[in-house]
Amino acid sequence: MTTATSWLDIVRPNQAVSRSTMQIVIGVQVAVALLLWWLSPWAALPKPNEVFPAVAKLWLEQGLGPELVTSFWMNVQALAITAFISLGLAYLSVMPAVRPIVAAVAKGRFLGLSGLTFIFTLMVGGGRPLKLALLVFGMTVFFVTSMAAVVAAIPKSSFDHARSLRMSEWEVVWDVVVLGTLDQAIEVFRQNAAIGWMMLTMVEGISRSEGGVGAMLLNQNKHFHLAEVFGIQILILLVGLVQDYGIGVFKNAVCPWANLTLERR
Amino acid sequence: MGKSDAGAQVGMSANYEYTLEESILKVEDASLTLGENLILDKVSFEIRNITRPDSIAGQVVGLLGPSGIGKTQLFHLLAGLKQPTSGRVLIGDPGVPVKRGMVGVVAQHYPLFMHRSVLNNLLVAGARSGKPEAEYKQKAHNLLEQFRLLDRANHFPSQLSGGQRQRVAIAQQIMCSESFLLMDEPFSGLDLMALRKVQELIHGISTAHEFNTIIVVTHDITAALEVADTILLLGRNSDEQGRFIPGARIQAIYNLIERGLAWRKGISSTPAFVDCLAEIRDRFALL
Repeated sequence: MTTATSWLDIVRPNQAVSRSTMQIVIGVQVAVALLLWWLSPWAALPKPNEVFPAVAKLWLEQGLGPELVTSFWMNVQALAITAFISLGLAYLSVMPAVRPIVAAVAKGRFLGLSGLTFIFTLMVGGGRPLKLALLVFGMTVFFVTSMAAVVAAIPKSSFDHARSLRMSEWEVVWDVVVLGTLDQAIEVFRQNAAIGWMMLTMVEGISRSEGGVGAMLLNQNKHFHLAEVFGIQILILLVGLVQDYGIGVFKNAVCPWANLTLERR
Repeated sequence: MGKSDAGAQVGMSANYEYTLEESILKVEDASLTLGENLILDKVSFEIRNITRPDSIAGQVVGLLGPSGIGKTQLFHLLAGLKQPTSGRVLIGDPGVPVKRGMVGVVAQHYPLFMHRSVLNNLLVAGARSGKPEAEYKQKAHNLLEQFRLLDRANHFPSQLSGGQRQRVAIAQQIMCSESFLLMDEPFSGLDLMALRKVQELIHGISTAHEFNTIIVVTHDITAALEVADTILLLGRNSDEQGRFIPGARIQAIYNLIERGLAWRKGISSTPAFVDCLAEIRDRFALL
């Protein structure tokens, strides 16, 4: 294959390109995005030369670092509780009695968090428990929806195969439902970890005790410090990307079979 | 072998010296209704142990029938994955009602645990065989060697070719169920070379032990005839107007041993084979 042909592959459908080619493509796209940002005609949009000093100032003078750590651990804690509840419910959906509960929890994704704040405040009090409860609720309804669909999509032949090996029904659940969908569970966890960051800023805005990066973002927004707002957003994005990458590496390490048949690995 | 309670038994003069011993599998008036549809209607047949002087004689039984006739449902009954609406399926002598796990099941697309390596797929089955760990580990090693899979032991199923995957699926079932193997459409979609290899594999397993019995569920008449020593024909009866009556049953049992068509290499080029093939095809067309 000629060099010209291989470069054309990046705009052809369903082509696999080398890792180095992909790195160049991403590098060029990031450079173009930065250039467009720099040359952007909108005056309200802060330029990189305004954003990066603003981030440095927030980091050095206003404690952006500790706020970020506070938010990160809040997200991790909420994720852990969410994963425990959601995976438990999704796996137990193999029992008919649990399916209506799972369906009801999944429908909770149509409810707005703002409308639930009062109820949760009455239930768990304010401050950190409230933020945690709101985050867990917000993520659980989506996690359960995705994982219950994964479990429901397991074909009957997979269950029969395990049964033919003299497995009890609970052994079937362990091998087919839990281990067999582990890669998908981690992928759902990965999506919800991202959703967590999206909700976190909102939740920290609802209850500003303990601060957090969300509360800081709303404060800057209130005073129309757009460079600071933009800077915090970029920082959250970077933390999210690292987190996403880390979960991806974990998934590949724990589930090496998961990507073997994919066209794009 | 191949006594039937329902349907005709087709046989000719004996060509081999063999003895029919105790019952291995007995299906007694097994009916299956799904919803309001009668799928199987009083299916009955028996497979008995065959012994031959100076040789190991396992058995291969071909269960033939047109697509959609209920072969897979009968497959599920024989595997213990479903219970008949009435009647029963008995294993061994004295017969005990079949339960899942008593019969090895190799389904059509060779399902395996995709999250386990080839070796682990065998070991997880061995752990449920009731044997000591050292024994089933040794058996797994032996099977990998026998099925030319040793170099694939640490591969995942998705890294295997179709033929390798089939061999792993068979080995996994042999780990768990000692001597009885059900195979659903093992010849489906194979080219001639692959078909020969699968037939050799089936023959090899059947002759590995006296009690090894393989039931091959298929609609490929030629392939089944080449490898089987008994053919069961599943189909529906017709009424006087030629309309099919719901509920499949065993329409005929062909004893290929008595016809001199079993246990011989190159059998497919003999006139007796061609005649038998034509006979079964004619019958098959009416089912």
